Amino acid sequence: MKRLAEIPRWWAFTALILLVGAYAMWIRFTQGLGAASNLHDGFPWGFWVGMDVLVGVGLAAGGFTIAATVYVLNLKKYEPVSRPSLLTAFLGYLLVSAALLVDIGRPLRLYHPLIMWNPRSVMFEVAWCVTLYTTVLALEFSPLVFEKLGWRWPLKAIRAIYLPLVIAGVLLSTLHQSSLGTLFLIVPEKLHGLWYSPVLPAFFFVSAIAAGLSMTIVESFVSSRVFSRRLEHDVLLGLARATVVILAVYVTWRFTDLATRGNLHLAFQYSQQSVLFWAEIGFGAVLPLLLMLASGDRIKERNLFFYALLVVAGFVLNRVNVSMTGMRNIETYFPKWSEVAITLFFVVAGVVLFGLAVRQFDVFAKSEYVEPGTTPRMGWFPKGSLLAVAAFFVALVLLVRAAPSRSELEARLRPAPSQLAMQVEPLGDPTVNLPRDLTIEGSANSPGKVVFSHANHIAMQEKVSCLECHERTFGMGFAHSPRLQGDQWHQACGTCHDGKKASTSVNDETGESCSTCHQSQ
Amino acid sequence: MAFLIDLTKCIGCEACTLACKQENGLPPGATDKLSAVTWTVIQRHGGVNVKLQCNHCVDPACVSVCPVAALEKTDLEAVIYHEDRCIGCRYCIMACPFSVPKYEWYSTQPRVRKCTHCFPRLGRGEEPACTAACPTGAAKYGKREELIEEAKKRIEDNPGRYVDHIYGLTEAGGTCALYLSAVPFADLGFATIRTDTTYPHLTWNVLRQLPSVVSVGGVGLAGLWWITHRRMELAEERAHQAAKRTESEEEKPK
Repeated sequence: MKRLAEIPRWWAFTALILLVGAYAMWIRFTQGLGAASNLHDGFPWGFWVGMDVLVGVGLAAGGFTIAATVYVLNLKKYEPVSRPSLLTAFLGYLLVSAALLVDIGRPLRLYHPLIMWNPRSVMFEVAWCVTLYTTVLALEFSPLVFEKLGWRWPLKAIRAIYLPLVIAGVLLSTLHQSSLGTLFLIVPEKLHGLWYSPVLPAFFFVSAIAAGLSMTIVESFVSSRVFSRRLEHDVLLGLARATVVILAVYVTWRFTDLATRGNLHLAFQYSQQSVLFWAEIGFGAVLPLLLMLASGDRIKERNLFFYALLVVAGFVLNRVNVSMTGMRNIETYFPKWSEVAITLFFVVAGVVLFGLAVRQFDVFAKSEYVEPGTTPRMGWFPKGSLLAVAAFFVALVLLVRAAPSRSELEARLRPAPSQLAMQVEPLGDPTVNLPRDLTIEGSANSPGKVVFSHANHIAMQEKVSCLECHERTFGMGFAHSPRLQGDQWHQACGTCHDGKKASTSVNDETGESCSTCHQSQ
Repeated sequence: MAFLIDLTKCIGCEACTLACKQENGLPPGATDKLSAVTWTVIQRHGGVNVKLQCNHCVDPACVSVCPVAALEKTDLEAVIYHEDRCIGCRYCIMACPFSVPKYEWYSTQPRVRKCTHCFPRLGRGEEPACTAACPTGAAKYGKREELIEEAKKRIEDNPGRYVDHIYGLTEAGGTCALYLSAVPFADLGFATIRTDTTYPHLTWNVLRQLPSVVSVGGVGLAGLWWITHRRMELAEERAHQAAKRTESEEEKPK
């Protein structure tokens, strides 16, 4: 009964997130990226690239990892997880593509990389790999649809090419998971030394595998609560062990790389980035690694869920650090509500679609999962673990805010600029080609022509600037700009000659100052 | 073709900014820094005026990163933008080491905006609007090699006038905007960036491994499958034979 009562509340929550996200998208598509985000020229990639693309693609890595384990390494024990992880990956990639429609400036041209080639571009390679891999995932998933429809012939055809399909999927994933790291190799000065590394592509690949495996553990736990399907302890244990080994390799490599590039000291310099680094490596990799190791074979499922959640959180933090918080100019960017709202929209849409797909298709092959009812129910929602992770991020934000920012530290290192004197006195230098004087013939009832001296006016200026007068007042065509007539001159000159900015005024009714400019014939 | 910008000659009159706006039909305003509507600008550092515009790198990062080849390095050295190809991924803005390309953030059909080296004028055999407008010769247009020679000569002929550094000669692997200055460039807000290699090399060094990854990975994975699959077959066979043996052994006593 308690569970039933909670369901409508969750649906209301879901609907609210979807509505707010849809409203944010409406703003984005009717008013542009600038209205829906805090992105600007100094910080062109933000929350959407970090969360929707880098995190989204990374967390879907369970798909190719499990596929390789089951079909290439022939470890059939893991077959029960292959379909859920495949569904996660398929939905993940569809949602990443949908999120790209929001992020790129001209969404209707999303297909352009397929027909307009630039093979030197990492982004071009990623676009192709993601397109091809989404196709592969659709094919890998198609047997579930054919089973449901009872189509025997297509089912047979897909099964015949399943191994090459899996191998193609693994290769495509290897390429683009690492290429998401390669994207950042071209910003060696902008990305902080704790993350920039020539082996960033390899780090992206290895960390994606660890995150993909952990995500599979997390999902198993969630599906045990939502769909009453749970994995055998032995399978979960295997996934945890693989995660431990991969995390150990990853952490060792990160530190060795920092040390060999002489950047290890950056981790011990008190800064926003070093706090983020230790949060990412310490709490998101080393801690879950040690906890999983210490728990041994009798690890409780609930604890394993928490450790896997830590790995996922560490992974998210890593991608956030590489794409946002480790980037120069981060001081000028904090995501707008609409950026977060749109990302939440896609997360929630993914969860809803996952639920729908599980109800439609045979995602959890029944015989291989432990039958429903054998799981002791441990509450509908893993409140403790989620609260712990949320508290971790809140504490992190506070700690980071307290630490000195990158721009502060860089400003401290920069030597005070020397007093810079003007090199050329424009009026004294004979090589300077000043514009000539201009004679304005008076109209019918004018007190006389006016000779305008550029030299005099430049001498009056605090800084020499043609723009001062020519940008607006006298038009941009400065080669022969004055196409003004009669009183228009009074108006234009009056911008400065108003009796205040310049002492003579064109509106002097006494007519005394007319002769300052007008020469009687 | 290239620019030689002699900061010791710039009086900061902003005639270049004005000419650029006029030539490219850009609206007035926002003349304090490079923006979507200001493609060349004078920044004042004390008494030194610094003209900024696209540096038109010899091997530009922006051109290499664009997934749809919307940015092009033309034969005349100009880096130009084909707006009909652009998908708006903003990787060029991210990748440019000089932070030159700007975006139309508040448009529903946004474009990347930046100096085109006045490409249409170059095609007509004219020099760019900014150098044509410069009253002091601080910004000069010419062939890159010739301008490098001239810059070297100016440093040699005027001892004490310049720091011994032509910014753009090796920065980012070489750019088509060459700067001369009386004070160190770091004091003028110039980015201290790598000179040992061009930026596109940083990604290309990884990207060119792609054929190896695919071929070696493909063969390796197929090999792994072959080993594990054969192992499974053998295990099945052995189990089968063992079952047969026990069967026949069970039959014997009869």
